[in-house]
Formats: sequence, C-alpha cells, structure tokens
Amino acid sequence: MAFFSSGSRALVEILTRLQSAERPMPVDQTFFEFGSMKYHIQASPSDPENVHLSISTPSLSHEASPSTALPEFTLQETMKTYRDFAEVSRLHSVVLSSQLKHILGNLGSSGTTRLVYNHRDPFFVSRTPGKLNAIFPMRFRDDTDLAVATSFFQELQDAGNSYSKAPKCSWSAIPPPELRGESVHHLTTNGGFVSFDILERHVKRRRAAKTAWILLNFQSYVKYHIKCTRSYIQSRMRKRQERLTEVIQDARLRGSDNTKKLQVRKKSKRRLISLGKAKKLQKGFRAVVDRMKRLRLWIRVRALDRLRRHYRQCFAVPRVKGNKYYDKLE
Amino acid sequence: MTGYGRGPPTASRPRSTSHPPLTPGALILPPLALAPTGETPVTGNHPIVSRYRIPSLPSADPRGRPRPSLAMANTLRLYLTCIRNTLEAAMCLQNFPCQEVERHNKPEVELKTSPELLLNPVLICRNEAEKCLVETSINSIRISLKVKQADELENILAKKFLRFLSMRAEAFQVLRRKPVQGYDISFLITNYHCEDMHKHKLIDFIVQFMEDIDKEISELKLSVNTRGRLVATEFLKQFI
Repeated sequence: MAFFSSGSRALVEILTRLQSAERPMPVDQTFFEFGSMKYHIQASPSDPENVHLSISTPSLSHEASPSTALPEFTLQETMKTYRDFAEVSRLHSVVLSSQLKHILGNLGSSGTTRLVYNHRDPFFVSRTPGKLNAIFPMRFRDDTDLAVATSFFQELQDAGNSYSKAPKCSWSAIPPPELRGESVHHLTTNGGFVSFDILERHVKRRRAAKTAWILLNFQSYVKYHIKCTRSYIQSRMRKRQERLTEVIQDARLRGSDNTKKLQVRKKSKRRLISLGKAKKLQKGFRAVVDRMKRLRLWIRVRALDRLRRHYRQCFAVPRVKGNKYYDKLE
Repeated sequence: MTGYGRGPPTASRPRSTSHPPLTPGALILPPLALAPTGETPVTGNHPIVSRYRIPSLPSADPRGRPRPSLAMANTLRLYLTCIRNTLEAAMCLQNFPCQEVERHNKPEVELKTSPELLLNPVLICRNEAEKCLVETSINSIRISLKVKQADELENILAKKFLRFLSMRAEAFQVLRRKPVQGYDISFLITNYHCEDMHKHKLIDFIVQFMEDIDKEISELKLSVNTRGRLVATEFLKQFI
C-alpha cells in the first residue's frame, strides 16, 4: 500500500537519474514527504563521485518537543543500512525503529511509556513479557469523524481476528488496564482506545522498521480514511440531490425546452397515427360494400324482378369513388 | 379532517368530524390516546391532531413468524400509500390574500393567525421513530417528516444528508430551509406551486423523496461499513 511504503520513490528516482546520467550535472533540490520529512540533494560536476543527501526527520520522544540531534546509536544503526538507493530511501523508518528500540530497552521487561511522534497526539507503548502493546487514544473533531472512525475500529477488530499473522487489534471506549496510573488529561478521548498486540514475529529482523513505521502512521491513516469517506459521502449526496431535482423539474407545467421537444415529438406521432387510421377505415368500408354486393347477387331470383326493383330502390348502395376528390355542393 | 374535496372551510361553517378516506390497515387512534404518549393537544380553537398508525401486517406463515424484510416492505408501502392519499385529499389550495395586512399574500399554515383558515393537522406514524405531519390551510400545506434512525451512524448520516438538501432548498422549490421542530425535514407547498406544477407529480415527488431518503441512508451506511472493512483488511495485510 502506497500510504505505508516507507521508501521514498522520489528520492530513489532522483538518485537513479543522477547515477545513470551521461554527464555529471549540478543538482540542488529540496523536497518534502509525509508532511514532515525533508530531503535535500546536492551534486556538482566538480565532484562527480559524491552526492550529498541530507534528511530531516521528526524524531520519536517522550515529550511533545523533540530533541534536535539524533542519538549516537541511531546514527550507527543507519550506517549499517546503507547498501542501495532503496535502503537509503527507508532511512527515516530505520531512524524511528532504532529510537523505538532504545526507548523500549530503557523500559525494562515491563512498563508503560508515553511517546510523541511529529507533534501528533501522544500514544502509549506498554511492555509485558512476550509482547508489546501499542495503545492509541483517538480524538476527533466532530461527530461525523467519530461515527466513521468508530465503524472503522469495529471492522478493524473483526478483521484482526481473521488474519492470524497480523497483530491482534482491540478497541474499547474506556482506557485499557495497561494505562492505569496515567494522568486523566492524556486519557480523555472521544474516540476510545485502539490497542495492537505486537509479538516477536512482527519485529523480527527487518520487520521491526516496517512495523514501527506502520504503527507510527496509524493515526494519520485513520484521518486519511475519514477524509476519503467524507468526500465519498459528499459525492453520493450530490448525485442523489441532482436526481431529486430532476424529478421536481419534471413536475413543472410549462416552460422547459425538454417538454416543448416532447410535445413536438408527440404531435408528429399523432399525424402518423391519423393517416394510418384513415387507410384502415377505407379498407373496412370497401370490405362492407363488397359483402353487400355479394349478398345482392346471391339473393337475385328470376321471377322476382318486381321485388328486385323494389329492393333496389329501398337498399340502394352508393358507389364509392376511388379518388379522394369530392363534388362541391351548390 | 375537514374540507376534503368540499372547498375551504369558512368561519360560518361548523367543523365536521368526518375522517378522510383511509387505506385498508390504517388505524385511527381516539384523541384521548394522545395524552399518555406525551403529545400535547393544540390549544385554543384548534382541535386535537388526528393520528393514524399503520399496524404491522399479519404474516402469511402459518407459524406466525413474519419475514422481516417482507413485513417492512409491506408496512412501508402502506405508510407511503396513506401519505399519498392524505396529500391528494389535502392539496386543495387556492389563492387567499392575507386578511390582516393589505396586499400581502402569506402561507397561512406558517402564520397560523386565523384559525378558520386552518384544517386539522394529520399525523401518520409508521412506528415511534418514523412519522409524517401534514398541516393544511387554505392556501398552503406543510409536510414534515421524521426519518428512521436506528443507530448513531444512521443518525449522523441522516442529519448530514438532510442538512445538505435543506441548504439547497431553492433547487427543490417546495423544500423548507429549516425543518419544523421535532422533525428532520419539512416541505411547504403553496397555491403558486400547485399552479406551476402538476399536483399528482408534486405528490409523486414527496413520496419518491421519502423512499430515496431511506434508500440513500441505508446505502451510505452500508458503503461506510464496507469501506471500513476493506481499509482495515488492507491495513492488516501490511503486517503479513
């Protein structure tokens, strides 16, 4: 998933282009990622063998105001992870995981500590023999965010049960027992508490950096999901509103172009129907006249000329002219 | 409810107590039944609101257990049919200038200053959570709806959606910007709307609006839960 890819694609692309360039070219570029990571790349034609890369990353600390310099153990850890461009692009996650390891090492075999990453809301890490608990107190601005997030946390809890390899996730409206003793100010939330049980297999070898990176970005991930859901809800509401507006527009009696076009189409249909009906009427009339003629022939008897003449006078059948022209009556 | 198909009531004409034609299955509750529910009767010359509750249908299953979706669909149909019939009877509007201010023409159902111009309001309840109030006057009719909200998420989505529509009331013309107190959304139809639009299409719009609201809120809730499930699954896959 792109959101959790700890590597910086932009950095890898720039470094690859520099390496594959035919001639050394001057580069002095600064860019930001994830809102807080700052990269500065410098290269000059006079020194084609070296490219200077500076990374500024927010650190993990106990307090809201982080320290300015990275500790020595973190720098040593980063120097071990310096093989190729992909590894270089993941340096920030290595920095964070090394800091997290150090903090947990100071904690001992059990205990709870509060951590702050990048001026965000603090979260808690609790260590017990055999596992780590990462507990996130969730706070939201308004009721809509809260409702969407609560639905997401419940789904997260249900989905965690179906994936055995993933850390077990739980959500509760009240602080979990591991946070007993913490100040009330830090435990006041409206979105409850989300806990992840991190086992040894989740932090084995290189997975430690990735797991640390995912957990540290959990709160941003939730906010991103809420933002996308809100925009989705907005677009659906707009579509429904447009559909309902069409219904009320159709209720108008007069005035719209669409209704006029409909009326014109209806008139032309009516003309076609009237022509067809006239032809049918003509056919029917001819059929009746032919039948009457046949009846007359059948009834004719030689000895009854007088009667026949009388019959002709009474039941005279008008001759129908085939043409459509009529004689004008004077 | 007075004045069904007989023209507007006047001050000299006494109010009749005949009820409007009802769909089969609709039940009239006597006025005294209003007291225990906490509904306060309208004071002054206004009579007590007439309430109609749609009972649940008996099931066709011999074991007496109705299928929930079928029963719900049937009660919804009855509810909407009752509302449609009430609106067809109530929507007999005519132009009536304001009696108090010269050269003014105001919807009397909103002002309620002249009791002789108002008809008995009708309250149609599908259940405790869903109801529709139809208030009629000589030149206007006000329809207020209370939408079903089963849980917190539905409550939020309904509030959000209906507020979204109310803010765009000019596109709907007959929609009120602010709902009546105690209800989620309100319509105000005047005699001018009846002159500009087909009456049966207006009623169709109201009924379709109600159906679409319910459908949209259910679909939104389902979409939010489905999105949450997918996002949660993708999140947990990162650990694998």
